[in-house]
Amino acid sequence: MTCLPVPVEAVFSALGEPGRLRIVELLRLGPHAVGDIVEGLGMRQPQVSKHLKVLAQAGLVRVQPRARHRIYHLDADAFEQMREWVDSFEELWAARLDSLGRYLEELDEEERDQ
Amino acid sequence: MALLKKKNKEIVLERYYAAPLETVWKAWTEAERLAKWWGPEKTKVTDCEVDLRVGGRIYIVTEATGEMGKYAGTRWPMEGTFTHIDETGRLTYDARSWQEGDEEGTTIHHTNDVTLTNEGDKTHVRLHVTITRIGTKAKLAAFGMKWGYKAQLDALEKLLEG
Repeated sequence: MTCLPVPVEAVFSALGEPGRLRIVELLRLGPHAVGDIVEGLGMRQPQVSKHLKVLAQAGLVRVQPRARHRIYHLDADAFEQMREWVDSFEELWAARLDSLGRYLEELDEEERDQ
Repeated sequence: MALLKKKNKEIVLERYYAAPLETVWKAWTEAERLAKWWGPEKTKVTDCEVDLRVGGRIYIVTEATGEMGKYAGTRWPMEGTFTHIDETGRLTYDARSWQEGDEEGTTIHHTNDVTLTNEGDKTHVRLHVTITRIGTKAKLAAFGMKWGYKAQLDALEKLLEG
């Protein structure tokens, strides 16, 4: 089991705001320039920029400059890491059973030595 | 992710050990013996309590040793309650495991069902772990999948909807 570099609280509070959640929903369809988000959601540009900043700080979106535009897209890495964390639980149990095998072998050798 | 089924995540692991059933049973149920193998490599068991009766408590803390580098000193407790004990080879308990310092985020609730079967000079061990509930981090993982990050992980999402 590994610890996570993702600030969970930040992610939850980022998604807890309806406007930001709408942005995430929109980005789910694909990368968008800031202007497209403003137009698509009918929000004001400064508001959208502020929301995007919060989402980026929480690790949910990433920005890519393209020509004069700033293109935003969802960042899957954070979620991928969390999936790995769940998988690591299974690996732990497998390692544990192997360890039991080694322990039993050692016991067997001790008995033979006696 | 073929191991995902329905609502809960199921883990089934099987092993054959060249030891009598009674020896394997003791290794699982006597604290002193349990502590000797419970922690995987690069860890040590610092606490181990087993109150072997239905309703009794099992409590084990695994701690990362210096060999684990940045995780050194990290502690992973598991606390459980026995729900079924049959010395002929069946042990079940409800438990939760977490990483110390982030209990809310990392807690995994799981039931463990251990079945020992005598097969000639070997003992077959079947461990069935059912993850029933997981902490916020894992829920977040499911949330991410909901937004279409990884379509192939739909099964995990379903598991967490319950």
